[in-house]
Amino acid sequence: METEPSMGEQTLTFTAISAGTPDPRESAAARVEDDDPPTGEIDLPGDLAGDTVYSDFGAFEDSEDDDLAASGDDPAGSRDLDDPIDLDDPVALGDLDDLDLEDDQDDRVDLDDLAGDDVGKSDRDSGKIDAFDFGVGARPEREPRVPDPIAKQVEAALSTLRELIGGIRLGLELPGVEKARKSRQEILAQLDDYVVPRLTFSTAPALVVVAGSTGAGKSTLVNTLAGAKVSATGVRRPTTSVPVLVFHPSDRAWFQEGGVLPDLVATAGAPEQAQIVLTETERLPEGVAVLDTPDIDSVVEENHAVAHRLLAAADLWVFVTTAARYADAPAWRLLRLAKERGARLAIVLSRVPGRSKDVVVAHFTRMLEDYGLGDVERFVIPECAVTDGRLPSAEVTELRMWLAELSVDEESRDRAVQQTLSGVLDSFRTRIPELARHLEAQVAFRAEMRADVEAAYGTALAEIDEAMRSGSLLRGEILARWQDFSGTGELIRSLHVGRSRRLRAPGSKHQEPARAGTLKAAIRSGLEAVIIAAAHRASEEVVVRWGYRAPAGTALAATPGLGRASEELIRRATRAIGAWQEHVLELIRTHGVAKRSVARVVSFDEEALAMVFTVGLLGYGTSDVRIETGTSVMPQRLLRALFGAEYLRNMSAKARNDLRARVSMLFDEEMIRYADALDHAGIPDENAATHLYQATYNLEVAR
Amino acid sequence: MTTVTTSGNDLAARLTALSRIVEFGADRVEPRALAEARQLLGRAGDRLALSGEHTVVALAGGTGSGKSTLFNAVCGLDLSPVGMRRPTTSNTHACVWGLEGSGQLLDWLGVQSRYRFNRASALDRDDNRLHGLILLDLPDHDSIRALTDYEADRMIGVADLIVWVLDPQKYADASVHRKYVTELAGHDAVTVFVLNQIDRLTPDEVAECVDDLRDLLRREGLENPIIVTTSALTRKGVDGFRSVVAQIVATRRASAQRIAADLERIVPQITPPLPPVEIDVVVDRQRRTGLTDALCDAVGVAAVADTVENVYAARSVEWVGWPYARWVTSLGTDPLRTLNLHGFRDDIRAGLTAASVSAQPAEVDNAVQSLVDGVSSGIPDNWRYGIRDIARANSANLPRALADELVSVAPRLDHVPGWWQLMRLWQFLLVLLAVVGVVWAGSLLLFGVPESQTPVPWVAAGVAVSLGLGLLTAVVSRNVVRRTAAADREHLEREMRGRVERIAEESVILPVEGELARYGEFHTALATVGAIQRPMAGLRG
Repeated sequence: METEPSMGEQTLTFTAISAGTPDPRESAAARVEDDDPPTGEIDLPGDLAGDTVYSDFGAFEDSEDDDLAASGDDPAGSRDLDDPIDLDDPVALGDLDDLDLEDDQDDRVDLDDLAGDDVGKSDRDSGKIDAFDFGVGARPEREPRVPDPIAKQVEAALSTLRELIGGIRLGLELPGVEKARKSRQEILAQLDDYVVPRLTFSTAPALVVVAGSTGAGKSTLVNTLAGAKVSATGVRRPTTSVPVLVFHPSDRAWFQEGGVLPDLVATAGAPEQAQIVLTETERLPEGVAVLDTPDIDSVVEENHAVAHRLLAAADLWVFVTTAARYADAPAWRLLRLAKERGARLAIVLSRVPGRSKDVVVAHFTRMLEDYGLGDVERFVIPECAVTDGRLPSAEVTELRMWLAELSVDEESRDRAVQQTLSGVLDSFRTRIPELARHLEAQVAFRAEMRADVEAAYGTALAEIDEAMRSGSLLRGEILARWQDFSGTGELIRSLHVGRSRRLRAPGSKHQEPARAGTLKAAIRSGLEAVIIAAAHRASEEVVVRWGYRAPAGTALAATPGLGRASEELIRRATRAIGAWQEHVLELIRTHGVAKRSVARVVSFDEEALAMVFTVGLLGYGTSDVRIETGTSVMPQRLLRALFGAEYLRNMSAKARNDLRARVSMLFDEEMIRYADALDHAGIPDENAATHLYQATYNLEVAR
Repeated sequence: MTTVTTSGNDLAARLTALSRIVEFGADRVEPRALAEARQLLGRAGDRLALSGEHTVVALAGGTGSGKSTLFNAVCGLDLSPVGMRRPTTSNTHACVWGLEGSGQLLDWLGVQSRYRFNRASALDRDDNRLHGLILLDLPDHDSIRALTDYEADRMIGVADLIVWVLDPQKYADASVHRKYVTELAGHDAVTVFVLNQIDRLTPDEVAECVDDLRDLLRREGLENPIIVTTSALTRKGVDGFRSVVAQIVATRRASAQRIAADLERIVPQITPPLPPVEIDVVVDRQRRTGLTDALCDAVGVAAVADTVENVYAARSVEWVGWPYARWVTSLGTDPLRTLNLHGFRDDIRAGLTAASVSAQPAEVDNAVQSLVDGVSSGIPDNWRYGIRDIARANSANLPRALADELVSVAPRLDHVPGWWQLMRLWQFLLVLLAVVGVVWAGSLLLFGVPESQTPVPWVAAGVAVSLGLGLLTAVVSRNVVRRTAAADREHLEREMRGRVERIAEESVILPVEGELARYGEFHTALATVGAIQRPMAGLRG
């Protein structure tokens, strides 16, 4: 009998648990009951759950009848078939028939009749009916476990993690940032799509994600499993771009309530922008949903991202490859990923030409063994004609059995689910600290970049300080104007004997010191030039320093305008120097009265004296400028005579500090541009890394 | 207008231009692009020196696409092992039609001699058509083996014609398209796509597949991809493929076309397309003047001239002024004495021996910077930095150079001309005369006038004349001083400016022009290799 091998496989699990039950249907039903501790007896929902499974298998059998190509001699298949004697008596098929089953079978019959015409639609329709009839009743059975305190703690730890990782900013283009960003996205998506839903709804159906290369036949496989063309197939590559989720009608509530893949499913209602297509079919066993994904290696790179996101949400990975592709690098990258994640994996080698089957399977098996994946479930599907996007049903029997086993045997399903879940949580142990390390690198790098800016402008400020003191400013125009001012006697004319400063009315016949004015302008433009040149050099220095910090620094250094002093600097510098000169004048005014003995006998013109003071401040006489008597400290002499040495020192210190403060302020404004550029790239939280480590640790403790 | 011309001369000229780019572009072009350009130059030199009679055609593709099967089908012999295990081929196999002269080429390609086969059999009916073909069967580029073996990569880099062997299952793989096809877009003339294994599809499906592939390739920048469908297994379409290859081989141009296409690909990496602007390799009049002006400001030429003029005039008063006015002025209390500042005037004078001729370094910097900004606008950043650096390297010494140059023209401020002394003596004599006159007139008034003596009015007139003469002399002298000072000032200013200009020319303009000329050469070379946007037809004659 052609159905024997498949039925044998099907019953294999059942008999292992309820040994001695000759009738597979009964054993299946009994199995469902066993899994139902609260009821203790055959109640309606339990019965129905079993029946539903059965009706699926019935349909399956039907298709087997149509297609005589049995998979019994498939070597890969026969591995699992260690107890073929447990074949059931087909006569017993009727034994369990009761009223509900009759109803169910009626449904099936309708469905089968319709299958040829509009399978998807009829599936949906019948699915609805099923859900109304049984789904509601069946649901409560699947919700018992959790909320125990441990799970609560894990959930809390995860939500902290979620928040922390969500808040991470990775703005700087450091080496490895792409990886870190991707890893962040992956972890977030995995938390949202998989870990949290899986913990919250721990009894949700197992999500089996079918992934693999383009053209490997993923959609064909899913169609075959669903018994209908639910996903488009064709010769165009890549074929599938929108994932298709196929599930049993009674599981619908899980998917529609958003327990699984909440983000994706939310859009399923609006077909135009759907990110996922939901399809119901009774051909699939209950408690197992199959997801057809886009490829991992085609030229359409968005597909890879979608596929990886779905894989991250999978309870089980079914990896599909072909005889032509099994050595492709992308395929092995995916296998490595599965291994890293510790995900529960099954491998389907599809499109195997009959003549080379043994060679290819043996080679692939050896490669897998070498890679440490020797004990993963493998299924081989020979190359055969595809009709209506489906393979002959017989070719996928083993796979179907495997799924059915998961469906019926809750323990084994839980094991599979838990394996993947703890694999994911284990992977957090390394992935999150990795992310945190990168975050630390970002924070450190940012600090270094800031230090670059501060160092460059610090040097510039020191240069200006030096120029202020050393007399190197007293050159060119300033010195010439000073000579003009002093040599033409204007300096001495600005001193008056006996007339108190206060008595001299403004606008008196005393002439304005014109040369003091030009000297003042010369000093202003000289100081301005020094500040601008220093700022310019500093900005170049920053760009050079950042340029060494490739690639992140280089990218930021290329921000337009950073390599030169800002446009407003000239205006600002003019204003700052003007204000400083006013300040000096004010100092002269307020300190002028200090030496009473002098004030009584000599008055002076403040503008002119301010110039003398400034020139003295700039280091007149200390410079390398040729002044033949060398040590002439003429301005200081005059100033000391007027103010006294003590006051002069005070004033000088004040004036210097004031100028320094003003220049630092100018430079601070210049530095803001760099800070802005850095901030533009995203401001990482300095403590985020520590918090991440802590949260990872907390998660480990909670588990 | 032709986009790519591949005549031999043109290619040679462009390669020469590329070598000039490599020469001039050191430190100015991104090192990776430069390295690639050097590599291309080396490769092109080698390839063009080797047999031009042969065309190297490489069969490339993913594992399992049927490269070896197609290779064997074209050769008509089972030379390259085919198999079901993936990956199958791990060494490049070569089959040569027309052996003479191919040995060196195969050595250069690095095909091991045990994988070389000769297909120079007179039995072939299309022997002549394929004469000169070197067909390579490459290992795959996408299997896990290829992750550590770059043989396929290397061969794809050196072959004259690349034949991508695709199959219906894998034709849209990212490994082919992202890494190679998109990279090699523009290589239309030297790329052929073979959709193999069409025996697996129905004719309709084949058509759909080919359309899809063509669309995909167009999206990637290949305007007219050559797509051939074959089934190496059933030999369907293999003859068609042979004739496509035969056509290309017959032209003997694939090797040059391949190099030209590589050139096209490298150029945008060297520089983004530059607008077709004329490069000024000389600094124009206006900018030179601007620089000189700015440097004069840094030295303070105008201020120095002012000072010289003013101080000269002020000091002249002591020498050539009317002594009486001076004495009146000095009658007031000297504030310096009040302040106990004895010798302060000498201090001031000590600072006024010679006019200052030093330059403000910061202002010199800014002047040079603004010249650099001016001449280097529109020039790529790296070159701008080059111009800036070379200008600045010299500008560091500029303030000192300016001071040294100008010190010889700087006038002394304590110089006393001879005529000032004469005038002083003259004024002294006049004062003496006046004093004598006053004394004489006084004594006459006191002691009466002797008969023979000049009467008092005459003496008074003499005193008045001496006073008046003194005033007149002072006024005239002052005018002369003013005029001399103005003339001196003008002369000084002109002299200083001239020297500043010469220094600017020497230390700034010349080095900058040198760098500009280097960029000009580079730019011309770029235009030759085609990196300059061509002006729109009709805009220029």
